[in-house]
Amino acid sequence: MKLLAPLFAGMCLVGLFRTDALAFSPEAQEKVITAASKNVIQIGLSYRGDEIHFFGVNPVAGADVITRLTAEKDEVIKLSVKGKVGPFWMTVKQYEVTGAPFVYKIHANKPVKEIISDDLARELELGYPAIKHKIKMHLVRGKAEPGDEDKIFQGLINIKESDNLYNIVEDPARLEIAGGKLFKHYFRFPPKATEGNYQVETFAFKNGELVGYGKDVIRIQKVGLESWLTKTSQESPVFYGIMAVLIAIGAGLGVGMIFRKGGHH
Amino acid sequence: MEIYLPIAGMSLNIFLVVGIGGLVGFLSGLFGVGGGFLLTPLMMMIGIPPAVAAASDSNQIVAAASSGAFAHWRLGNVDFKMGLIILVGGITGGTIGVQLVYYLRQIGNFEFVMKVVYVLMLGLVGSAMFMESLRTILRSRNPEAIEAVVSSQPKLVQMFAKMPLKMHFHRSGLYTSAIFPFSIGTTVGIMAALLGVGGGFIMVPAMIYIIGMPTIVAIGTDLFQIVITSANVTLQQAFVNKTVDLLLAMLLLIGSTIGAQFGAMAGKRLKGEQIRILLAIIVLAMTVKLFLDLVLPPEHLVSLAPAKGGGH
Repeated sequence: MKLLAPLFAGMCLVGLFRTDALAFSPEAQEKVITAASKNVIQIGLSYRGDEIHFFGVNPVAGADVITRLTAEKDEVIKLSVKGKVGPFWMTVKQYEVTGAPFVYKIHANKPVKEIISDDLARELELGYPAIKHKIKMHLVRGKAEPGDEDKIFQGLINIKESDNLYNIVEDPARLEIAGGKLFKHYFRFPPKATEGNYQVETFAFKNGELVGYGKDVIRIQKVGLESWLTKTSQESPVFYGIMAVLIAIGAGLGVGMIFRKGGHH
Repeated sequence: MEIYLPIAGMSLNIFLVVGIGGLVGFLSGLFGVGGGFLLTPLMMMIGIPPAVAAASDSNQIVAAASSGAFAHWRLGNVDFKMGLIILVGGITGGTIGVQLVYYLRQIGNFEFVMKVVYVLMLGLVGSAMFMESLRTILRSRNPEAIEAVVSSQPKLVQMFAKMPLKMHFHRSGLYTSAIFPFSIGTTVGIMAALLGVGGGFIMVPAMIYIIGMPTIVAIGTDLFQIVITSANVTLQQAFVNKTVDLLLAMLLLIGSTIGAQFGAMAGKRLKGEQIRILLAIIVLAMTVKLFLDLVLPPEHLVSLAPAKGGGH
């Protein structure tokens, strides 16, 4: 089997280099075989987000399963913090946040805390505390105050959760493990999830230790008119601007011809 | 039925978008105003990012105004010379305005400034209209109180006529200074970029009462300059901020052109002052909503600033 070769290589490597930063790499674990209902999501005119269902086989009977959805690349985000200036609420400072995942969803069949230790969760980047540990923020404008870090992090989580880009669901009904062996779950991709590659990782744990790992790659791409408009507006802004104006004038004159009476002004 | 707006990066109900266009078109047909000043705030209320709302609205205005301008041009109501001078101002203002939007987006206060300017503008226009229509209604109830309306028009017109750079404007029948049309063009151009409005609701009264143009020529000339000013703003927004959502603009256009026809029909059946007081109430309600946004503690203190900072 093709899959086994890199698996063994990985195991050997981990065995050889025990001083590696990670005690073990997830890739070195037994492969969790999963099947996704589809691997490509297309953003067309009527796109309103999508859902992908995953089915998998638990490598060790009775193991707990945690799944994670992330985008392949992190993003740099600028966050504005509002404060009161006189009677008005306006932006008083800005932080630049690096290393925050664009999408971050964790589904588990029970609370992550009950499955693994905090240390392991941090090491594998499972859960919000791990994200907080990983991101870096620096002040771009305004004055730093104590407590900013917590405020910014909570603000980031709120923004992402309201766009349905982040969530943590620890529910045996959402991540169902039938007979301890077969598991199924789904991830919802919200309309805000933009083009790019996303990865769905599956971690299996038994007695607090990682016993299996699997990864699926999901691709989101704009198609047709959506793809063309976005690409043109970003890559050829001059052409796009002129086109937008010409189409508007054409539409306006066309409408003027149709309603010939010269009715409204 | 949802539609995905590529530049706004969100999906919205298509009937909601066309419906908002239709509502604003209906009002503009009914009241004879451009309606851009209602459209941008409404779009923000349904969650479209402010910069995308303003830029796409400008694009939509190009279409809406060009159909009106075309009709007026055929009737000979466009003073091209006056229009061109206003335009030079408008393009200067529009270019400054787009750079201002870029800067304000960088420091994260675009939305704040936009709302402040809106509150001032809408508050002013709304209360002026409310007072005017209330006076008309009261006057029609007791006819004895009819007083001669003393217009301050001649004084202002004379004052501007004294300034340098005098020119003949044949279509308007005026001999006056070019400075004023230029500076009002600049002001309205800046506002067009900042708010995504055509500016007719300031420009037309200014042309009638301050420059002294005949009403119908003022409207025709205004529509002509709006086409060019909004086209310039749309181009600049596309070049600098990349926030023009063509799909959104076209959906709004479909709604607004259809709505405008129905608005014009309804307008013929209602009394002028009743219509105007209604519009004044709508405008004032919007002002209050935007004002509250500025002074009430926001639901979320931390918000997303536009991602691509100095993306060169």
